[in-house]
Formats: sequence, structure tokens, C-alpha cells
Amino acid sequence: MADTGWPGCAKSLKGVVLDMCGVLYDSGEGDGVAIPGSIEAVEKLKASDLQLRFCTNETQATREKFVAKLQRLGFDISVSEVFSPAPAAVAVLKEKGLRPHLLVYDGVLPEFDSVDKTDPNCVVIGDAAENFSYQNVNEAFRVLIGLEKPLLFSLGQGRYYKETDGLKLDVGVYMKALEYACDLEAEVIGKPSSMFFQSVLNDMGLHPHEALMIGDDLVNDVGGAQRCGMKGVQVRTGKYRPTDERHPTVTADGTVDNLAQSVDVILNQRGH
Amino acid sequence: MAGRRALKAVLIDLSGTLHIEDTAVPGAQDALNRLRQASVAVKFVTNTTKESKRNLLERLQRLNFDLQEKEIFTSLSAARSLLEQKQHRPLLLVEDSALEDFTGINTSEPNAVVVGLAPDHFNYQTLNKAFRMILDGAPLIAIHKARYYKRKDGLALGPGPFVTGLEYATDCKATVVGKPEKTFFTQALSDLGCSPSEAVMIGDDARDDVGGAQNAGMLGILVRTGKYREGDESKINPPPHLTCDSFPDAVEHILTNLL
Repeated sequence: MADTGWPGCAKSLKGVVLDMCGVLYDSGEGDGVAIPGSIEAVEKLKASDLQLRFCTNETQATREKFVAKLQRLGFDISVSEVFSPAPAAVAVLKEKGLRPHLLVYDGVLPEFDSVDKTDPNCVVIGDAAENFSYQNVNEAFRVLIGLEKPLLFSLGQGRYYKETDGLKLDVGVYMKALEYACDLEAEVIGKPSSMFFQSVLNDMGLHPHEALMIGDDLVNDVGGAQRCGMKGVQVRTGKYRPTDERHPTVTADGTVDNLAQSVDVILNQRGH
Repeated sequence: MAGRRALKAVLIDLSGTLHIEDTAVPGAQDALNRLRQASVAVKFVTNTTKESKRNLLERLQRLNFDLQEKEIFTSLSAARSLLEQKQHRPLLLVEDSALEDFTGINTSEPNAVVVGLAPDHFNYQTLNKAFRMILDGAPLIAIHKARYYKRKDGLALGPGPFVTGLEYATDCKATVVGKPEKTFFTQALSDLGCSPSEAVMIGDDARDDVGGAQNAGMLGILVRTGKYREGDESKINPPPHLTCDSFPDAVEHILTNLL
């Protein structure tokens, strides 16, 4: 009988999906720093028979710029292996013929170059950081409240993240503010949305039970992957907090010290 | 009134009940004078996040209403009472025009966050500061949680969305101090030395004025002026003690039936 628990499930895996910030590297001044052992862990996975994809809720830069940063840190990664919310949002907007009003960080704007933004009939918010001024949030609110059927897309729903100078409010806070103001429920694009994980699986041509997600965010990485039928393992790096291991609703299939350790465990199980 | 004690206090809403913008409700000044000749205490209660008591007083006096500043109790007064009671030192996210109602409150090394309506403070940097304080254990106090309000140039976000965002970020619940909170009404009555069962509230907002007051144990009278819309009286349960055309009718009812 197939072993479905961690780490036995590694024997039957066909693909691995990695979160990026907090798993591969810690953000901070300049490019940030690679987490020890992570560069080599990615190399080992690439040399194995497992498929590998990267899945991030990063919405402050285009995928090209973001991947270039990781390459500078020493990671062997290409743009086509990385899934981020902005391109996923662009796909949804085009499919539904929607014209967005954007409340996002300037660095990610080029991702939306090909989208018609005249006479908006929905709002897309991302982690806009300093762009979250009262005036900008109010402008998004006015677009929504002026629509017959207000439609809000949120690129992720994080509460906060850590930077070298302290904790910063994330997009989820402003998503909740606009939800409350307009009495609506936003559609989340990115982790933990099942649709987002499913698009990664589709790209690999795998069923959910054949893939494992490794991340530092218990709810968005591990919980999101599990809800979609994948396995989810949490690393004790990045935004990990010890209280995560007794979370009321999400229990990781496994918890490991870092990416290097989890990759060694997986490859060991597979007899490498 | 079976089961009720003699009426000792009348709480009166301002905007929409005594006046609409810069016009007094017809007969309201005389009605207030008649009420003052009876043996009841009178207090003026309102949700405001940016107008100081002095501002409110000046407007009402311009409209020839007879009242004193100490008779006004606002959501800002309620926040101040809470801060004094708990000895908090607040980070005040309120507009400059409201700051004078917090004169004398120690704001050095803040250990509490007070959120009013303050577009100038609702920027990313200031909200991050508030967020970090709350995450470190500072209580979050909201003057009220209105979703939006009407400005000359269109609708604008109220304090509610930002309070809700901070609640989500920190996984905590804000203490709301304005109407329709129970504590707002009990605080408004506290220096009159009377209990809710000895008081009546008159207002134009079915939920915030009448529903809130009745929930606190008072009687509530809804007036069909200001923001009143047809059918508002059926939006609350129990229904208002009385729904009448305007403030003078409410006073007449009190003088005839409740004293």
C-alpha cells in the first residue's frame, strides 16, 4: 500500500513546488540573502527525476526582475518555472473581458501592459506598500462603489510580511478594508487559492496527490496546497513561528528545519 | 409606564434631529426650552470623529439653541473617558480639529491606538506604526466603524475599513466607543446619576440612536427627519418606543406621557 504520510509519500511524488521568499531567501536590503543550503537544494531537485516549479505571492516586481534577482543570489531558476499572481490575474482579466483599475506597486505595472485599463469595471489590488495612501485606496473604493456589480481581485491575502526594518502590512489588510467598505467578498488570485495551485499542477501535467508544496507560510502555502489535494510541508525559516505547529485549522504533513533538510529527506526516501 | 421608573434624563441626537446642516428643525428651539422647564436632565449625544465639542456648540448656538458645552457628549468624549479610565497613552489617528477634545491626555510613549476619521493619517507609514503597536499588545479603540461618508466631491472611506484592516492584520477586535455601543449610552448618563431605565433617547437613526439606546435599557424615540427613510422603524427589534414626525412632537410626547 502506498505510504501517504510524510516522509513516506516522497516515494510516489512526481513533482515539487517551492515557495520562494522565506524558503529560498530572506528579503531585505538590495537582493536579500540566500538561506544556507537552499541554492544546493534547488540544484539537487533539478538533477532528480522530480518536476520542479516555484510559486510566489510576490507582487512588487515583474517576474523577469524577480527571477533576475534570484539568479544574482545564485539560484538556477528561469522565468517559465515561476508562478506569480500578476500573470495569473492578467489571464483571468482577459478571459472574462475585464478592464481593471489597478492599485499595485509601481514595479509590477509592466505585467499589466497588455490589459485594457480604460473605463474600469473591476479593481485589482496587490501589495502596493507606499502606494496604499488614503487617496489611492479611496480611488479604488470609488471605482468599486460606482459599479453595478463591484468586483475586487486581490493578489494574495497576506496579513503582513517581514522586512529588515520591521513588519509591514500586506495586501490582505487593504482587501479586508475594501470588502468592508463595499460589503463584498474579494476573489483572491495567488496562494492560497486552489485555482492558483491548479494552474501550477496543469503546467506539470500532474494530479494534486502527485505533488508536494514546501513553504514557510502555514496557511497560504501549506493549507492552500492541502485544500487543493497536494501534500504540504512547512520549513522553520522565513515567517515560520513556533505557534504554527499547533495551529487550530492547518496541520502540515511535515515540518522541517529548512529547504535543504526537506530535499535530503525526499531524495533519501526515493533511494537517491 | 409599568415597570419603568420616573424619567430623569433625555438624550438628544444633533444632526438630523435638531438641525439639518445649517437649518434648525422647525420649532426645535422652543421645544428644547419647554423640555428644560420640566424636571429632567438633558444631554446632547452624537457620533463625530472630527468635530470638537466647541465646534458643535458654536453651530447650535448660531441656530439659537440654548445649551452648554458640558451638556454635549460625543464619540470623542467616549474615547477620552475610556482612555482616562484605563490610563492609556494614545496614538491619536484623528483630525487636528478633533484634537482639542483630548487636551491634557498624555500621548508620550503611546500604548494604545485610537482611530477616528483621519484621511491625513491613513497612509501606509502611519498605519504600519499603529499595526506594530497593536501587535505588541496596544488596544485598538475605534471612535466608530462607519464604512464611508459623503464629501462634497463624492463618497469617501470612513474609519471602519481601516479599523477592519487593522483587526485582520493583528487578529484582534477593536473596542468601538460611539453609538450604537451600549457603553456610549451608559457613559453619557453616568454624570447625571441616573440609570438607563430612567432615560429616553431621541434621534433620526433607527439603528445607531434608537436601537442602540433601547439595547442599553433606555426608551428610544425615532423622528422622521434627517436621515430617516420610510420604514426605518421596522428595521429594529424591538421597534422604537415611539416614531413621530419631528423633535417637537417627541418633546410633547415626553411632557404628556413620560413625566
